Amino acid sequence: MIRVQRLVKEFDDARQGVFRAVDDVSFEVRPGEIYGLLGPNGAGKTTCLRILSTVLRPTRGVAEVDGLNVVRDPEGVRCRIGFMSCNTGIYDRMTAREMVEYYGRLYGIPEDRLQHRIEEIFEVLQMTDIRDRLGGKMSTGMKQKVSIARTIVHDPPVIIFDEPTSGLDVLVARAVLQAVSALRDQGKCIIFSTHIMREVEKLCDRIAVIHRGRILAEGTLPELADRYQQPDVEELFFDLIQRHEELIASGAGQRNSQHFV
Amino acid sequence: MSWKNIRLIFLRELRDQLRDRRTLFMITILPVLLYPMLGLGLVEMMLTFSEERRTIVILNASQLPDSPPLLDEQGIRTSWYSEGQTDADKLRVITDRGFTATAVSDVSQHDENTKADSASSQSEDHKSDGALIATARQLADKLHLLQKLEYEEYLNTKESQTADGQTQEDSPPDAGKRQAGSDSQPSGLTEIIGIREQISQMFLVSGIDVLTVVPQGYSDTLSVVRQQVQDRNSESEDAFLAPVLVVRNSADDKSASAFARVTSAFKNWEDAIRASFFADASLPQMLQNPARLRWVEVAKQEQVSASVWSKMFPAMLVIMALTGAFYPAIDLGAGEKERGTMETLLISPAKRVELVLGKFATVMLFSVCTALLNLLSMGITGQHMAMAMGSGTPGSLSLDFPGISSLLWVIVLLFPLAALFSALCLALATFARSTKEGQYYLTPLLMAVMGVTMFCLFPAIEMTPLYSVLPVVNVAVLLKGLLLTSGQSSQLAVYAIPVLVSSIGYSMLALWWAIELYNSEDVLFREAEKFDLRLWMRQILRTKDAVPAFPEAIFCFVLILMLQFVAMSSMQPDLSDNGSAADLMKIIVTQQLVMIACPAVFMGVLLTTSLKATFRLRKPSLHALGLGMGLAMVIHPLSVELSQFLVSHRVFPPIPEGAARVMGMLKSDQQPVWLLLVVFALTPAICEELAFRGFVLSGLARGGRLAISVVISSMMFGIIHMIPQQAFNAGLLGLVLALLAIYSRSIFPSMAFHFVNNSIATLHAGGLKFLYADGVFFSRDAENSLRYESPLLILCGVAAFLMILHMVRIVIREQDHKRRGIIPAFGESAPHAATLSRMS
Repeated sequence: MIRVQRLVKEFDDARQGVFRAVDDVSFEVRPGEIYGLLGPNGAGKTTCLRILSTVLRPTRGVAEVDGLNVVRDPEGVRCRIGFMSCNTGIYDRMTAREMVEYYGRLYGIPEDRLQHRIEEIFEVLQMTDIRDRLGGKMSTGMKQKVSIARTIVHDPPVIIFDEPTSGLDVLVARAVLQAVSALRDQGKCIIFSTHIMREVEKLCDRIAVIHRGRILAEGTLPELADRYQQPDVEELFFDLIQRHEELIASGAGQRNSQHFV
Repeated sequence: MSWKNIRLIFLRELRDQLRDRRTLFMITILPVLLYPMLGLGLVEMMLTFSEERRTIVILNASQLPDSPPLLDEQGIRTSWYSEGQTDADKLRVITDRGFTATAVSDVSQHDENTKADSASSQSEDHKSDGALIATARQLADKLHLLQKLEYEEYLNTKESQTADGQTQEDSPPDAGKRQAGSDSQPSGLTEIIGIREQISQMFLVSGIDVLTVVPQGYSDTLSVVRQQVQDRNSESEDAFLAPVLVVRNSADDKSASAFARVTSAFKNWEDAIRASFFADASLPQMLQNPARLRWVEVAKQEQVSASVWSKMFPAMLVIMALTGAFYPAIDLGAGEKERGTMETLLISPAKRVELVLGKFATVMLFSVCTALLNLLSMGITGQHMAMAMGSGTPGSLSLDFPGISSLLWVIVLLFPLAALFSALCLALATFARSTKEGQYYLTPLLMAVMGVTMFCLFPAIEMTPLYSVLPVVNVAVLLKGLLLTSGQSSQLAVYAIPVLVSSIGYSMLALWWAIELYNSEDVLFREAEKFDLRLWMRQILRTKDAVPAFPEAIFCFVLILMLQFVAMSSMQPDLSDNGSAADLMKIIVTQQLVMIACPAVFMGVLLTTSLKATFRLRKPSLHALGLGMGLAMVIHPLSVELSQFLVSHRVFPPIPEGAARVMGMLKSDQQPVWLLLVVFALTPAICEELAFRGFVLSGLARGGRLAISVVISSMMFGIIHMIPQQAFNAGLLGLVLALLAIYSRSIFPSMAFHFVNNSIATLHAGGLKFLYADGVFFSRDAENSLRYESPLLILCGVAAFLMILHMVRIVIREQDHKRRGIIPAFGESAPHAATLSRMS
């Protein structure tokens, strides 16, 4: 469903020169699977996902969603994905219903089916009571629900969640995770990026640990535990990152020190 | 592009804006309330406002003739004033009747003594009257002294002039105007200047606004003159009538306004004296004003209103269309970034073009509505106020609303204007990181637009073909003209076509810019970071590419333009004064090298890694070189005849003097041909091509935007030629030159074209005397210039068309290949540089 091959994204930065935010990243995600991108802040998760959502263009490499290239057919890709991140806010001066309706119409869903779909989503996400509330007057949790509704209104086969629980209280975060889990059960192909280990443990079928734009390790949780002899995900994560940092510091990781070209 | 999506986005943005109280307030409430409030305020102010009384002092009032009497008890007789009581109320006239010279000095003495304690028994008014008269007397003394000195000085000068045996014409006694350093009688002059200085200073602090000094024995002399006129005794010598002095300070508004009122009274009084002279001498009264001028007013009421509207409407239309576009645009562009909904919108399936168009339509709607509401409110308020204020007096000002046809024109012209501003504002708003940054862009934009609009409102500015294609100017000037003629002028209506076409062109360009910005991730994801000039410069120098970047190309053009602007003041005198031909040519070559070639080459060295790619320094095929030269030859007759046609139809203003002199030099045979060719053909061919087909075009064309780069580079090429007809010609040739450069991937065919074209033009200006004018292909006009006849023009046109068509087809095919060949690696360098290296 999602295929990323040797993806590179470089930015021009006034301070540091050419900055490689995503460095030779490759992975694949299948339908009915939650693929976790685990990494600290600034690891390149968001950049990578923004390329998948066609908002950024890759410097090199190929990214495909449902067989469509993100560079050659960005509109097609956008129709097939639902994308939610902390940067995809909702409009202050629109009600929940208007917001979801607006996006549904942009996706070209026929009107009667759209209305039906909205009812359904609002029911499932338990947000019928905030249907006519303006975005500016909602709490963070309500906004997040509207965002999820907006993400899945067109029933996309691929859904990308970029740190969907950041800034949420435990209750709302739990509800979000449940929603994601439910979507997997519907057979969606899901990428879930986070820096919270617990969420990964609970949710993800396979994970990739990403740091400084590179994937350090990839596999199912048991596989990783097995490979690195470390059953605890959190320890595993720290070990990987520390080892990588040491590698860079020792200068042995020539490739990696080329973040700054 | 899906219209459904555009409509959806438009409707959403519209609803969003309408839910924003601030926007609604700015767009609707403000204009509806603002003008009536302003009007009301104005009326109130005018009611409460009363002009302060100004002080007039008349000295030696007793010397005035008794008949006709200038003064009565209250001051100057009300009947003498042009505005009667109104004038009288505004002036406080103090005369020295009743103040003897000693009495006054006593009073003034007393006044000075008691200045500290104001508890004086005398009435306040009378006391200050006395003081004023004392000051006035001092002033009068100084004045007499000044007159005396000036007269002496005048005599002296005259004497010395006669002594030198010079026969200069007599100058009036105006010594004060001369320089202090004048070598004749410096002591006298210094004294005069000193006294003038003293008088000015005294007058300034005197509290007198106008001082009138009647000369001694005025009445008596007048009687003598009267007698002379009665006797019609032409033998006797004219009695010397000393002038009545009226002192004012024209730099002081109070003094100036009082002076105007007093002068009109004096004029009327003078007329009465003259009339009495004529009556006494039984001369016909018509001698008073033998020309008997009478003014006939033919302006109709609606024309008066039209002239008012024609000044207000264009200015308001432009400013309101801009403000109306600006605030919604900021909200739709920068506001969306600031509120974090930009990315949500970007991941919707709508294309970037659709996003921009939807937003653009919203902004434009607000722009149009704001402008119309403002005009409507202003018009109604103005009309209402004119009626309310004029109701007292009959035949007073009334402002009829412009006719239907004028209003229709307002609406028709509003649309392209609003489109231009909307697209521009949207682009700026997209560029801005935050609404605050966006608002910073408003001031310069508003200033520029207001400056341009003010220029258009000068009465002398009328529609010309040139103005009809300048942005904003075209709409403002056309609207002004149409409102003046109440939309009846068919002559002006013709201009509506170029105005509309060019305005729509500019809006498209601005819209294209906005779309470009929406496609640029740098702009969309710009992060606020501390601006550091050094870091920034270093980044520019570090991230060099084979060819310049788009902004660098634009900057190069601006730099060239600025250099020309700076050099204008220093070079203009040389061009227009009688510098020799050699000087002139020196200037032209220097200008080409320093102001055109240098910036481009310098920037190329500094900012790019490959001079070869930037300046297209590749060996051209012989075929392309030949094409360049051939094209120049066939295009020359066409461009000559087109310019002639345009000049004879007065599309362009006449050539400025400096340029005309250059042309004249070409015509004269004084300069060797090779020198002329080096100066006028070779130098520009190298310098201008390096700059415009080299650096600028390479930068603009990056990323494969060929068509737009050709258009923009040729527009720039036209603009630096300054003189309208040259700019037009260069702009057209720029299209061909840019196409040639892109087609051949080399600068040399363009240089060849440029050289051949300029050479022929130079020789043509010289008359091409060896060519025989057969009348079929060539002919000669009245000025013995070579002209081209239609058979030749048709041949040339067909040839040029075929050659250009050939190039366009090849370029399009190449583009197509490139698009299908390599998958474009996005971002920098890739497609263009890759092709370039493959070609070289």
